[in-house]
Order: sequence, then structure tokens, then C-alpha cells
Amino acid sequence: MITQRQTSLPPVVRLRYKEGDLIVKQGDYGISIYKIIRGKVRVFRETGKKETNLAILGPGEVIGEMAFLNQEGESRSASVRAMTDTEVEVWHPARLAKEYEQMPPVIKLIADQVLGRLMKINILIGKLGEVLQEREPIESAPETPASARKFYRKQTDLDCSYRPLSGASKATYPGRIKDISLAGIGMEVNSVTAPQVVHHLGEEFHVSTTLPNNKDVEFIAKVVDVRKSRIPGRLFLGMAYVDLSEDSRKKLGFFMMP
Amino acid sequence: MAISKVIYDYVVSEENYGDRAEIIQEGTKGRWAFLVLEGEVKVKKKTPMGWLTVDTLKKGAILGEMALVTRGECIRTASVVAHGPVKIGVLDIDRIIKDFESLSPQLRTLLGVLITRLRESMNRLAVLVAKAAG
Repeated sequence: MITQRQTSLPPVVRLRYKEGDLIVKQGDYGISIYKIIRGKVRVFRETGKKETNLAILGPGEVIGEMAFLNQEGESRSASVRAMTDTEVEVWHPARLAKEYEQMPPVIKLIADQVLGRLMKINILIGKLGEVLQEREPIESAPETPASARKFYRKQTDLDCSYRPLSGASKATYPGRIKDISLAGIGMEVNSVTAPQVVHHLGEEFHVSTTLPNNKDVEFIAKVVDVRKSRIPGRLFLGMAYVDLSEDSRKKLGFFMMP
Repeated sequence: MAISKVIYDYVVSEENYGDRAEIIQEGTKGRWAFLVLEGEVKVKKKTPMGWLTVDTLKKGAILGEMALVTRGECIRTASVVAHGPVKIGVLDIDRIIKDFESLSPQLRTLLGVLITRLRESMNRLAVLVAKAAG
């Protein structure tokens, strides 16, 4: 799935998506830049259940440059979905940020001015778009087929603690988060040392952990998959977030950046 | 905006324009970039409803950035008109392109995308204004 092309940090990675997969989700945090190597993607804005198409992009084109250039820590302004099987090259922002700052002054001045003008014009476009939309609703894309969003899943091995939401007990139990995505986590638990905990499908747990960058995150997640771990007495729980605060989503977003 | 010496070093000649003089004409070819040295210019686009002022630029502003994407001659996306008396510095575009070429391919792509987006946004704004007026 991921091909690492460069060993020096931070790496450039290639990601593959199947038709219908979501590559960027509006509202998520992240400043990686994606260059389309192969395939075709649709860029769209979501308002409620409505999707307004902004662009269809193909090989050689770039996604996510505004979040990088803006660097205000703002969330993604639009979603991007693969229209065909697609391969993208992900440029880690740290690779470019240093070079961007050290560009020849004349190029830096041009880039800063172009960015400023572009943002000014885009605000005008947004305002005009709203006025026009009030007059006549802009045509929206038909509801997207319920394609499972494929998330970039980061392998990890983090200590965490979890507490069942059902039942009166406030006791917490140790677990290990084995992978994290922006949809949920994979958590290994010891069913022998926590016999009183029900690890069934649909159970909800409050989970808290500290990411390797020392950021604390906590969330509520629901068990959507239960498997026996390779280690006897342990279970591997596939969990989907039920309640993830904006702050935790942001921290995870930055941690998740490939 | 003050103009630093390092930027002024790129100026190869200076030109003066009177109020309302057209410095760049939309749709024509050109391979120069300009720096506003004194005064103010209006960036205008032709729309079916007439001229639309897209932006007003002051001292220190650089115009003609598309030349970086095309590496030289390009079709002007908008007109630039003097708003009062204006002094313009013609920039050494070959030297700027050389600076641009020294960047990594990724950064060049990124800046190219940024400049192209500005052109697209200006075109889109003109279309929307015409729609709103109609």
C-alpha cells in the first residue's frame, strides 16, 4: 500500500486509493500536499448533505496546497474523492516549509503576494457564490454511494487506558493501540486481566492515550470488530470513534500525517 | 510597502505612466514582470458587463508572475491601469526565472499551482460578477 521512496526524514510516500475512496475529508486537519500520479479525483465542498463540485483533477495536478501555504492551522476546506483507482504522492510539509522560507527573496515576495491576492479573490468568489446560490441553488452532485472511506491507517504501539461506558464502574483498564486512523483505532486488550469488561460489538469505551509527540488525546469509540489476538487471552478490537473532540481530531490529524 | 535593495536590484529600467494609462493589456503577449515603484495601479478584467477591478496594487507589488509558469512569454490575464501617476520598474525576468529554476521540482510545482490558481480565480470572479449582474 505505501511505498517509501526516500529514506531521509521526512519521507515522500505514495498512497493508492480505490475508486470511491475519500482522500481528503473537509474539516480534517492536515497540511500534507498530494500530487496525483495516476487516476482522477473530484474536489467538492459539503454543505449538510449537499455536495458542490469544485474541480476534477488528474495526473500532475496538486491537492491541498492552500492548507500548506496558509499555515494558519485551518482545517481542509474541501473533500477529495477518487473517481478511478488513484495513486498520489504525498509531500510532507516539513520537506517544503524550510525550502519555502529560504527561497530567493524575489520569489518569496512573488509567492506571498500571489497568495495574498488569491485569498482576497477567493473570499470575493465565496461571497458572490453565496449571493448567487441564494438566487438559484447551485446544482449539487447526487448522493455519493455509501463507499467505505478508506483511511490512511498508521501502525503504532501505544499504551492507553480504557473505561467501559456501560455499567456504573469507573475503573479503567490498560490496553495497547496498535493502529490509528481518522475513523478509529485498533486496540489490543487483555480479556483475562479484565474479565469484568464486556468486549462485545457495539460496546462503547472512553479511551485516553498520549501520542508519541506527547500530546494527550481522549475519545469515545465503539467496538465494530472483535478478533482473537495472536497472543492467547488477548483480543483485538476494531473501534470507530463515536465522540472525538475537535482538539483531539486536530492532534490526531497532525500525528497521522504520512 | 518599502522596497528592499535586494528586490530593487532586479529592476532593469524605470517607466512613468500618467493617470489611466494602460500598462499591461489583457489578452496581449508579454514576457516582462513589473514592480510598482511609486503610485497605485488597478488590475482589471474584461467582463460582458464592462471592466471589473479585481485588485488595487500599491508600491512594492509585483505584476506578471505568470511568466514564471510559462518560463517567459505569456498571454496577459488581466489589464493593469495606472490610478494616478505611476512609476514602474521593469524586472529582469531571466534572472527571476533562473532563481525559480534553482528551486526543487516540488516547490516549483507548488508555486506554479499557486500562480495558476490566481489566474483561474480571476477568471471565475469575472464570470460570477457577470452572472450576478445579469
